[in-house]
Amino acid sequence: MPTTLRIALLAGLLALLSNLAVIGFIYWRTHDEALTTVHRQVVEQGKVLSDMYRLGGAAALDDAVQDTITYGDPQTIAALLDPRGRQLIGNLAAISPPGGSLQEGYRNSLLRLKGQAATREAALMVHRLPNGQWLVSGRSVGDGLALRETLERSLLIGLVVAALLGLICGVILAQYVGQRIGNIAMVADRISGRDLSQRVPLSGTGDAFDRLGQQINAMLDRISRLMEELRILTDSLAHDLRTPVSRLRAAAHAAAESSNPAEQEELLAGVIRQADILMRILGAVLEISRSEALTGRNQFTWFDTRELADKLAEMYEPLAEEAGAALRYEKPHEPMLMFGHRQLLAQAVSNLIENAIRYGARGGEIAVGVKRSDEDHIRVEVSDRGPGIPSELRGEARRRFGRLDSSRSDEGAGLGLALAEAIAHLHEGQLLLEDNGPGLLTAIELPLRHGDASASLR
Amino acid sequence: MGRKILLVEDDRETATYLAKGLSQEGHSVEQATNGQDGLFRATDGTFDLVILDRMLPVLDGLSVLKALRAARIETPVLILSALASVGDRIEGLEHGSDDYLVKPFSFAELLARVNALLRRRESRIDPADHRLKVGDLEIDPLSRTVKRAGKKLDLKPREYLLLEYFARNEGRVVTRTMLLEQVWDYHFDPGTNVIDVHVSRLRRKLDDGFEKPLLHTVRGAGYMLAA
Repeated sequence: MPTTLRIALLAGLLALLSNLAVIGFIYWRTHDEALTTVHRQVVEQGKVLSDMYRLGGAAALDDAVQDTITYGDPQTIAALLDPRGRQLIGNLAAISPPGGSLQEGYRNSLLRLKGQAATREAALMVHRLPNGQWLVSGRSVGDGLALRETLERSLLIGLVVAALLGLICGVILAQYVGQRIGNIAMVADRISGRDLSQRVPLSGTGDAFDRLGQQINAMLDRISRLMEELRILTDSLAHDLRTPVSRLRAAAHAAAESSNPAEQEELLAGVIRQADILMRILGAVLEISRSEALTGRNQFTWFDTRELADKLAEMYEPLAEEAGAALRYEKPHEPMLMFGHRQLLAQAVSNLIENAIRYGARGGEIAVGVKRSDEDHIRVEVSDRGPGIPSELRGEARRRFGRLDSSRSDEGAGLGLALAEAIAHLHEGQLLLEDNGPGLLTAIELPLRHGDASASLR
Repeated sequence: MGRKILLVEDDRETATYLAKGLSQEGHSVEQATNGQDGLFRATDGTFDLVILDRMLPVLDGLSVLKALRAARIETPVLILSALASVGDRIEGLEHGSDDYLVKPFSFAELLARVNALLRRRESRIDPADHRLKVGDLEIDPLSRTVKRAGKKLDLKPREYLLLEYFARNEGRVVTRTMLLEQVWDYHFDPGTNVIDVHVSRLRRKLDDGFEKPLLHTVRGAGYMLAA
């Protein structure tokens, strides 16, 4: 609730301040405008009257003053005073300060007009005439003042009302925001209470809260997916480790029991073999997680992908031959330079080749190739003529520990393609499984431009 | 042929196991249990080999290695690490280690590498006679020709490299990973017996038709070329 209160107070304060600014502007403008207008009128009137004296003498001025009083509007002030300040002609009833302090020039003062009860504020222009008399002309601004006072009072009330309304709006706004955020917080709360299936309800308006909710939901989807993957991974890891571990245990146990040295040696060799398999599985898992965490980019170098494929093809050619397949590699003429992790890419490609030998050698032919798939991509392909993988099973094949033949032999932990994919991702590339009609075509497609970006990252 | 080895390893069990095994091979082993102590002892430069754990208290293995190389102490260093990643291996080598072994490892693998490193130190190829000889086998690294009992063997380039590496480690166990690293320059663990296939091809060319085999399989460890 303190948050709601704070938002409400903030909204109220903002309303108050903005209204204050607007009202202040209005006050300042009207006040200023009114005074300027009066000032101009008064100065002008004083000038006209004093000109009368200059042109027509005292008599003309007397007439003019008289006319002004008679024909001017009720705010008009005009008077002719003798040198001591007594009124000769004019509509002044009382003037303050009294006539003794008469001075030339423009001023505001309080006075009462003939036929009126109240003292009013007036703007006056006082001229001293060459004959010693005082010409007083001006306008009472009393009415304008009253209007302004009313206006000021209204503005003040408006200000209070605006602040109150702002406060109320703030409360409503805070409650709305609080509720929307509260929904999200509640979902987050339930999720920390282990219920990952919760999702933020969306209003469907696509506003900022909906977008936040969508992002949180997307994040939750991803987390659930990762958790599920992790669960499967842990299960498969446990499953895959159990076999070598129990074999290892059995062999070690038998070796401990055996009294025949030759048999003991044989059994201990089995222990070592199983331990090696365990180490290989763990090493591959570690390598995958490291590639996924994108460590290793600091070891990127430039190298020719052709040479990499060349060396691997040469390396695996005898193994393929033993498995009954001819491994072919056609080296492109131009270099295929690539910026990447040479060792990891070699490992990824070797995994593809080993896979082809293991599952596709029956087809009698394995081909390794490097080519530009388009302007910005290099493709390292390994294809076989074996049974291939039906498209609906290709997702499973990429998965860690995913092996399509359920008979899990101890060779290979089913991590080959998963590691190749992780390494492709490290290079912002991808692992492709395609139909070779017949057979399987696996390819690692790598962006060429990647190098520039990486180089600048360093 | 006992040599002085400094073992810097904080895990007591591993250290004892390794020290015992290396002593049985006739080496004298000194131990240090943290990086600072290890660096201090290694700087006197009288060791033939330093076996350095990567994760050490006080000062980690790579820092010890860097400090050693900065002090121009060129004693061969074999790094042991639980960090299996290929990247880590390369990093270790780049920092001036001579070899890199990932935990857990078999003692046979360690011993093979230790012997290869010690051997590298002592083997100065005689400039007058640059040829390598193992029994009746004669290898000329300059012309890359191989003769056995005076008869020229027809080897493919990779087979030649394999054989030369074997010959340079004559009488010592060479593991599959060592071959992959040294002959192919790949630092990963293949899931298949791809190395064995190459070795058995080489063996056919080398030993077929001769009474006494030169290329032996060492069970649980690797291979050895010996007369």
